[in-house]
Amino acid sequence: MPTLLELQRAVAAGLRGRDQEAAAAFVRGDGFTPGERLSIYRNTLLGVLTNALGLAYPAVRRLVGDAFFDVAAQAFIEQRPPASAYLNEYGQGFADFLAGFPPAASLPYLPDVARLERSVNRALHASDAVPLALADLSEVAAALQARIVLTPHPSLDLLRLDYPADAIWRAVLSGDEDALARVDPSREPVWLMVERSEQGVDVTRMTAAEWDFTEQLVGGTPLGEALDRGGDFEPSVLLAGHLLRGRFVSFTVPADPRIPSFS
Amino acid sequence: MTGRSAAGTDPVAGDPERELIPARAGIGLRFAHHRIVAETRPPVAWFEVHTENYMGGGAPLRCLDAIRADYPVSLHGVGLSLGSAEGLSAEHLARVARVVERVEPGLVSEHLSWSVTGSVYLADLLPLPMTEEALAVLSRNVDQLQTVLRRPILIENPSSYLQYRHSTIPEWEFLAAVAARTGCGILCDVNNVYVSASNHGWDAAAYLAALPAAAVGEIHLAGHSLRTLADGRSIRIDDHGSPVADAVWALYAAALERFGPIPTLIEWDNDIPALETLLREAARADAAMSSIGPPPGRTKTLEHGQRREPAHADTA
Repeated sequence: MPTLLELQRAVAAGLRGRDQEAAAAFVRGDGFTPGERLSIYRNTLLGVLTNALGLAYPAVRRLVGDAFFDVAAQAFIEQRPPASAYLNEYGQGFADFLAGFPPAASLPYLPDVARLERSVNRALHASDAVPLALADLSEVAAALQARIVLTPHPSLDLLRLDYPADAIWRAVLSGDEDALARVDPSREPVWLMVERSEQGVDVTRMTAAEWDFTEQLVGGTPLGEALDRGGDFEPSVLLAGHLLRGRFVSFTVPADPRIPSFS
Repeated sequence: MTGRSAAGTDPVAGDPERELIPARAGIGLRFAHHRIVAETRPPVAWFEVHTENYMGGGAPLRCLDAIRADYPVSLHGVGLSLGSAEGLSAEHLARVARVVERVEPGLVSEHLSWSVTGSVYLADLLPLPMTEEALAVLSRNVDQLQTVLRRPILIENPSSYLQYRHSTIPEWEFLAAVAARTGCGILCDVNNVYVSASNHGWDAAAYLAALPAAAVGEIHLAGHSLRTLADGRSIRIDDHGSPVADAVWALYAAALERFGPIPTLIEWDNDIPALETLLREAARADAAMSSIGPPPGRTKTLEHGQRREPAHADTA
């Protein structure tokens, strides 16, 4: 008689399409074979997870068609099953999987569309957070403001993609065949900002310099250092816009490492 | 003590405003109906939602907050995997606890099943072997969940399509034993009783008769389908994609005879119909409940359509 853990490991292997025999040995026949009985659960597993991926990657699904998507999803599910029932999180790694999936090689922009959709889905379900008010920052003594380190909103994400995935994604989801026909899917990098808004998720194209500046803030570079770099834009104006749009939710003022501490 | 731990007992200290789920028909609320419910406020006594659908932020949670302001809400989990030999995932348990804290539900329920092993979620409610070991594991995990949530939960019987060779305990006895050991209540899914009984050759009426009535705190009703193979063999599949079957309505009447009027949920998850269809199914359940009197020996105070029982009213 198997222990519960042995049984659960065996059933998991069976349902994941690996070793069917071990699980089948524990299951009664009674009119249906153990394999037939286990396959009911395997079909549900594949159906539920394929559906979850389809909801997270609707543009990828439309680009490749349902039949192709189901095959790709099943292969991905077998390689990278979810760790939990919080399926809104499921799909991490699908873009890299598609990049290495030979049948998808004729659509070189597909992994970037998947990267964008992953980011959009992440933004959609990210935790809520109260945005930082400009007034909060102005309470910091002027001499210390350069040291401010901002914390981004959980939904904010920055993507640098090799293909214009935002244009492809919009055209595909609009269902407008003419718009899709006008998109040039050739290799041309784009710098994107993804964030949740009142209406849904916004995807905004930025210049490389704006993206770099924002990326530094998100990555924890002190305000003074980030503002010094600048570029083909006015960083303080961009910063004000970020704060007005609620893209940052809190801040810290770390001690200056150059000043020795005697505590 | 097999406390009537469902809707009535032990309101958590500091949370006196939690609205209890009335002994009426409720509807499983899915995203497809969020907007129409928020905009039209249909006459539904209560809603139940899947806990896993509200673990993030953004629009779904905002919408649920708005609905929760006007209706009692029950949280029904599908992914905690209470039957896992390795114990509960601390991460998922924390997510469940956060949703419970936010929603302040009238009822919290999960399943007599497992779905996680080796950090892999197998995306279905998998049957447990009905053994003493599995009973001990499930009871330990239910204990932990109830300790973390500081409230009793309900455990639902799943539909099943297989039985293990080494099972020794009938499912109804297994459920009763978990309730007795942990003080949890039972969510009796009448459709699941019908489906499993039909698939395994059990007597559905005897199943209901064997459950400890005082522990049953909620009923689920849903549609299932009969899958027939070319060679004539058939199996019933719990797919929540059609109206409640007549045979299940008949079994529901038997359940009400035994358990009295208790919160009854209409579940529909696939090919979700117009809200009116769900309202009609709910009205049918309400009519069945009205046709029987209150259960014997049960204190019941109805105010504004809410079922509110004094703490410990039904503990025997």
